[in-house]
Amino acid sequence: MGARKVKQKSIWELFITSPVAGPVATLVVISVLFSLFVPHFASIRSVSGIINAATLTGMVTIGVTMLMISGEFDLSVGSLVAIGAYIFAYGTTQGHSPLLAVFLALFITALLGALNGLILVKTEIPSFIVTLGTLYVYRGAVWLISGGQLIQTMERLTVYQVFNGRLDILNNILPGANFRTSLLWLLGMTMLFQYILVRTRYGNHVFAVGGNPMGALAQGVNVRRVKVLNFIISGMLAGFTGVLLFSQYRSVRVATGAGMELNAIAAAVVGGTLLTGGAGSIWGALIGAILISTLRTGVVLMNIPFIPADNFEAVVGVTIIGAVILNNWLRNRA
Amino acid sequence: MTPNWNGQPPVVHMENITKRFGTILALDGVTFTVEHNQVMALLGDNGAGKSTLIKILTGVHQPTRGEIYFEGQKVEIKSPRQARDLGIETVYQDLALIDLMSITRNFFLGRELVRHIGPFQWLDMRTMDEATRHVLTDIGITVRSPKERVGKLSGGERQSIAIGRAMYFGAKLLILDEPTSALSVAETRRVLDHILEVKERGLSVIFITHNVHHVYEVADAYTILRHGKKVGTYQKGELSVNDIADLITGAREQ
Repeated sequence: MGARKVKQKSIWELFITSPVAGPVATLVVISVLFSLFVPHFASIRSVSGIINAATLTGMVTIGVTMLMISGEFDLSVGSLVAIGAYIFAYGTTQGHSPLLAVFLALFITALLGALNGLILVKTEIPSFIVTLGTLYVYRGAVWLISGGQLIQTMERLTVYQVFNGRLDILNNILPGANFRTSLLWLLGMTMLFQYILVRTRYGNHVFAVGGNPMGALAQGVNVRRVKVLNFIISGMLAGFTGVLLFSQYRSVRVATGAGMELNAIAAAVVGGTLLTGGAGSIWGALIGAILISTLRTGVVLMNIPFIPADNFEAVVGVTIIGAVILNNWLRNRA
Repeated sequence: MTPNWNGQPPVVHMENITKRFGTILALDGVTFTVEHNQVMALLGDNGAGKSTLIKILTGVHQPTRGEIYFEGQKVEIKSPRQARDLGIETVYQDLALIDLMSITRNFFLGRELVRHIGPFQWLDMRTMDEATRHVLTDIGITVRSPKERVGKLSGGERQSIAIGRAMYFGAKLLILDEPTSALSVAETRRVLDHILEVKERGLSVIFITHNVHHVYEVADAYTILRHGKKVGTYQKGELSVNDIADLITGAREQ
């Protein structure tokens, strides 16, 4: 019977074949480099700053990653973040029930996500084009519901504390830390969607639909249903990001969230998700978001003459390409 | 009117099937029968209507006219899922498996085994891995692990896995769409062996190909299509390889 027993893999083998190997390796290398050469980088303060700056992008990236694994893009998430934030802001600043405000922010963005998905499956126009269109349409909706006005408040409602207040339990233990409760929401959602992706039938179908839609269909997978549901997930998580965003800054304006769609796609891809679908992970997405945030912080702190701090985007761009080369290499070896 | 069968009805009887795509007549009154425990070769040149006929049988297309009987019962097959529920398993030439997924995940795609507690369900990977490993050993494929990605396997191994999957899930009729056209000689040999094994287990097989050499020795009967019409159905031994090849191309009229 010994021959039939599955050979016990070493921890190293398990790591190198896992989809997060590339992103983790990149993150470790970059962190070590920054720690060695950048003053003040290796501190609890900057680490918590990096993670805070990654949470909103990270939350959007979860949905974008689910969609990308199923072979589709959602460029409208940035606009949906603004819609979610405005609905939540109206609800809470005008004395309505905070629960109702959260519910509506999620419900409306889920509906708009479903609309993306339905346009895709009914017209069979590529989702890149569909959501490029709705990116502008939904941004137009932001103008309509806001009248161009920004909403801000000085109040410190409990609901803001719950969604994105200071995480004092952790901050009291770690001197200098500045963690926020959004980190807990992000970790919770990451675990939830990683579980859905890897441990449920639905997740299996998401991989199949992205890997080979005709093959999935032939095995009885409802390809259209999976795609529409993933657009709903992506829209809803963008709406939830809007809730977290307003809870943190207590301010939202018409341009809020613009450009987030590309950051999310970058984080997903750096995190090991295939742009063409069929492979990826939610943990990878989280690490991808943290990786990009680490680069920004590192480059800003470096303050070196030939890469001015406000040119950190270029460094991010170079790293994205490098990280994807590494991920591809690892995937083909695994 | 239900056709009158003496004794056991055939696994599949497709009666007078016509299919139009717009102005194109893809199938013109084709009647096609597969008996129990029979390996039926479906032969024809490219564009003869083989794929259209099979896609009607597997629920991908609906016939413009005509009727389908499965084990003597009249059926309307509206989706691939419904065909599969009847016991019709199809192994397509290129879209049988998903390269980026593991063998186990491919094997159970659309029929995943789950465990649950209350509303929470999760994939029973252990049982699925075990079952996959068992079937692979059974059909004579040795892989290092059922967790291995399908993309790492050879064309012949992939066909064997798809055939093994169909056998495992208790298909009554196995449809193979050009299963050998992309394979080496040795791999073709192996797939043909699997087909004979499938027959031994009591299944019926439809083997679609345009190359009569691949199917001549394993088939019990040959149905030939040309330009959307049926040329005829012939029993094993009635015609030589060359006769069949001539009928496929129309070099010789019936």
